[in-house]
Amino acid sequence: MISLRAVGRDYVSGAGTVHAVGHVDLDIAQGEFVSLVGPSGCGKSTLLNMIAGFITPTRGEIVVDGRAVQGRLPDALGYIFQKDTLLPWYTVSKNIALGLTFHGIRGQEADRRVARLLEMGNLQGFGQAYPHQLSGGMRRRVALLMSLAVEPRILLLDEPFGALDMHTRAHLHRELALLWRSLGQTVVMVTHDLDEAVLLSDRVIVLSGPPSRVLMQESISLPHPRDVFTVRETPAFAEHSRRIWHVLGEQFRALA
Amino acid sequence: MSERMQTRLWQLLILASVLGAWEGLTRIPWFVANTPFDPFFISQPSRVAVRLVQWLQPGPQSVWPHLWLTLQATLWGLLVGVGSGFCVGLALGRSRRLAQVFNPFIVAFNSMPRIAFVPLITMFFGLGMASKVVTSWFVVFFLVFFNTYKGARSVEREMVDFCRTLGGSPRQIMFRVYMPTAAAWTFASLPNAISFALIGVVLAEFVGSTTGMGYLMTTALATLNATDMFASVTLLSAVGILLVNTITALERRLLHWSPEFRQ
Repeated sequence: MISLRAVGRDYVSGAGTVHAVGHVDLDIAQGEFVSLVGPSGCGKSTLLNMIAGFITPTRGEIVVDGRAVQGRLPDALGYIFQKDTLLPWYTVSKNIALGLTFHGIRGQEADRRVARLLEMGNLQGFGQAYPHQLSGGMRRRVALLMSLAVEPRILLLDEPFGALDMHTRAHLHRELALLWRSLGQTVVMVTHDLDEAVLLSDRVIVLSGPPSRVLMQESISLPHPRDVFTVRETPAFAEHSRRIWHVLGEQFRALA
Repeated sequence: MSERMQTRLWQLLILASVLGAWEGLTRIPWFVANTPFDPFFISQPSRVAVRLVQWLQPGPQSVWPHLWLTLQATLWGLLVGVGSGFCVGLALGRSRRLAQVFNPFIVAFNSMPRIAFVPLITMFFGLGMASKVVTSWFVVFFLVFFNTYKGARSVEREMVDFCRTLGGSPRQIMFRVYMPTAAAWTFASLPNAISFALIGVVLAEFVGSTTGMGYLMTTALATLNATDMFASVTLLSAVGILLVNTITALERRLLHWSPEFRQ
């Protein structure tokens, strides 16, 4: 359970104060998949960073699983950045084991868990490879597995598939959907890809341009499990996309 | 013929033609009389070679004790310089606060002409090994420090935050993220650090010492002996090349993951 109460964040720069996040009230249920969309610069990532405790809100309060965040990392949190965060000097296996090492889990127990994660990510046989030997899509999967190794209850995804081609992205959508179905984390994903948001989420939240606030919350009625390849062709998918685009497109026009 | 062989052949050809021209022209009386290129000043490859052979044999003329002392001082200077430069660079690169406090001192120290300190160091540490090592450390430290510092600063915030979400403590993140990143930058500075260390030692030997290659060179200068001078320079270059190759081989092994060494 994640709840944001009147959360706002300002940035003070030479030119004055910038209100990045204006006033956001939001409740995200346990096990829910929520996407945040909005025009660029609307503070989506700032919001995600505040939930993670990387930055502190200027106003308001964020409570994760009954505990106020206030610049402290919540327990059992996974965060996937758009940037590559694999350690290039470690093999895939050692990268995936990194979180386990941090928690003092070593030896056979660690090996066993890494093997299971490699299987989960369809990366069997790549354990001894180095990050630079992998494709972009594979590196994304490794980053996800690194996070999943420490068994997070909450996954925060910051434009996780932004830099990938459509084909790779579609495959990763399918894998993420499957993982989420079997592991049941609460997921909050920031994305600029509206299709991706509708495809994966239970709920899509549209934010306004800065100072941002919640403009619209669209519950996605497509039943789970969804086939990420065929669901795009259904009328319900098109209808959700249309309704969200109606609000989002207006924001784009206003900021153009 | 492979590309590698061709490169080697060209390199040999260039070396041979320079040495050949040097040797050949200084044997033409007209050339020696009408140009500044007199063997008295620039010696001759054959004379240098003869001198080197004499030097490398055991006996009272042997160069080994001098070469060994210079090498010893260089290695100590490198060890202390790289060690301290790495630690301080990492510490300041890691802490924004420390970096802000020390920044003006570092800039001031770095912009001082370091050679000017050599007499002072010799005065303070005497004519032996200590002043050579200190001079060498003095020049190596800043080079390594700046590179390591930049390396530690280059660690991306996302990388650190990601490791925090995986449960990494500041100490663990230091060892697993900052140190490897900084080390890659430190390694990049090592070839230069080696030549600097060698220069530092020879400089200290110039100023005040009764041993080492630098001492041999000042003696050669005092007796106007160009052959000894060139022989010394040749030996020092050989030492430098040997050290750089050793380090490069080590770097290739340790940094095999780095883009620079990808095949």
